[in-house]
Amino acid sequence: MAVNTVDSADPVTTGLGSPEWGGFDRSRTRVLGVQEQWRSFRTAASLGWQMEANWTDPLLFFIYSVAKPVAAALILVVILDIVSGGTDPAYRGFVVVGTALWSFVLAGIAGLAWSVLDDRERYRMLKYVYVSPSDFLVVLLGRGVARIGVGAMGAAITIAIGVVALGVQFDLAQVAWLLLVVVMALGIVSIIAIGVLMAAVCLQTRQEAWHYPEAVAGALFLVSGAVFPLAVLPTPLQAIGLCNPLAWWIEGVRLAVFPGGTSGIGGTGSLWTAVTGTASPDATTIVIALFVTGGLVTLAATGTFRTSERRAKDRGLLDRTTGS
Amino acid sequence: MSVYEYRVTGSPAEAAAWTRRQAFFTDLRAVWGRAYPRVSGMFREPSWLFFELLLPLLATSAFVFVYRSLQAPSEYVGFVVLGGAMTAFWLNVIWMMASQLYWEKSQGNLELYFAAPIDIMAILFGMAVGGLVMSTTRAAMILVVASVVYGVAFDVQQPLLLVAVFFLTMTALYGLGMMLASLFLVWGREAQQLTELFTEPVYFVSGLSFPVGRLGMLGALAIAIIPLAVGLDAMRQLAFAGGDIAFGTPSPEIEALILVAMTVVFLFAARWMLRAMEERARRDGRLSLRWQ
Repeated sequence: MAVNTVDSADPVTTGLGSPEWGGFDRSRTRVLGVQEQWRSFRTAASLGWQMEANWTDPLLFFIYSVAKPVAAALILVVILDIVSGGTDPAYRGFVVVGTALWSFVLAGIAGLAWSVLDDRERYRMLKYVYVSPSDFLVVLLGRGVARIGVGAMGAAITIAIGVVALGVQFDLAQVAWLLLVVVMALGIVSIIAIGVLMAAVCLQTRQEAWHYPEAVAGALFLVSGAVFPLAVLPTPLQAIGLCNPLAWWIEGVRLAVFPGGTSGIGGTGSLWTAVTGTASPDATTIVIALFVTGGLVTLAATGTFRTSERRAKDRGLLDRTTGS
Repeated sequence: MSVYEYRVTGSPAEAAAWTRRQAFFTDLRAVWGRAYPRVSGMFREPSWLFFELLLPLLATSAFVFVYRSLQAPSEYVGFVVLGGAMTAFWLNVIWMMASQLYWEKSQGNLELYFAAPIDIMAILFGMAVGGLVMSTTRAAMILVVASVVYGVAFDVQQPLLLVAVFFLTMTALYGLGMMLASLFLVWGREAQQLTELFTEPVYFVSGLSFPVGRLGMLGALAIAIIPLAVGLDAMRQLAFAGGDIAFGTPSPEIEALILVAMTVVFLFAARWMLRAMEERARRDGRLSLRWQ
């Protein structure tokens, strides 16, 4: 019987052949090391970026990337102008930063969930990705990162438009960079965790789940203090908001970028002020709260994803396609 | 005799020569056939009750609280609730009408539609009927629950005109959806990206959360070309007739006429564009081209 031999000089197949002594190399069945995980992540991120960006020319891609967050910010700016005549520039800054950051949330949540739906329903590659040696979750995270990059671009440009065209007052020298870096890092982890949660949901649902991430983001919008202080909500909703890492993340970014501005968590009539007696949380409290709530969400998301993965395998959902 | 009953014919040409009645009933069956998976799918996977009914209600609530935080007049809360209900139809039109043919192409159904002895408009109409059932449920849920929870007081003085405007808005919206579907037929992966692009920017120019008249020229342009903008504005004027808010837009009667014109234009344009785009897609070999 003819057997294909592996040419050891071929860079593509180097290391894929049988060991020199001809037996079975058990080490290949073990869990991948950090280096291999990183390679999977990088490859998935590169693939994700190409899928996100190479469908059109750079100009249209740029317009597409910023149109959504800018339009979302404009909706709220017009609301402010209609009701208050745009007389409060501090509140305008509050709204613009909140909506800009929200484009991160939308991108982060949708990126991972859509990777599942894209690969399963459209390209029908999910089962092949799943049986590849890479960790499924690492591949999904890589795919989602590209979309977060697009969201970050939209957020930065929305803030820039807010400063240049909408009268948002911003002083670069006032920015608390350390706090900004820490809360951004913790916040992005929390957003990705919620994205993993949504990916777990989309593993179970049919094709219509395309707009589920947006629906979830819309619901979280209510309890995040993104565009209005939590103080205007009924007390039970405020309590839910205080358990939401996104609320702490937005509060942290606001405190870092606009120190002394309106607080989304504290203030007159807020649950925070009623319980702690302070007007608004300080930087240390925000970082700790973000770390704790984000950690809990991350743990819950990982557990839910693994459960969803097992159920998907059990019910044959990984290669299911649906129509509507 | 049923139109589907076997009849003996002398030649293939005679067999292919359908009567108008036969063609009509076949198209009618296609409408029902295309609507069926959407309607029956609602009962097969109940997760949509949570994601399609409860969560959008919370998203609408967020804008209610924006107005409350600004101590805005109570009419604005009503505007937001009505706008939130109408998002259900817009999302349905862009996600499940406009981009649907692109989806069908990816799934391999599109060539079957074109090979079947039916009018492609019947397929689109079936999609619209099926989508309307789900969207109406979602819109009604937002409207009823949010109105009760936030104490929205409607003041309807011309109920018949309000109902007529609603139905005209639906026909114009779904006509636009059919027209966009023909464009998406020749587009590739940009179809989904553009679907996304049609959400927030359209919400903004249509005045989903505020009276569109406040946008000045941009609002006037939206009223002239986007059924969501003109329909929503007319419905707001009719549903809150006794309020003190100045809309700064044409009267509901004129906006109803705009909707009639839009319906006619969009439906005819959809029919013409479908033919033209199908022809072009056939020539370019794009009808069965997937994942590009």
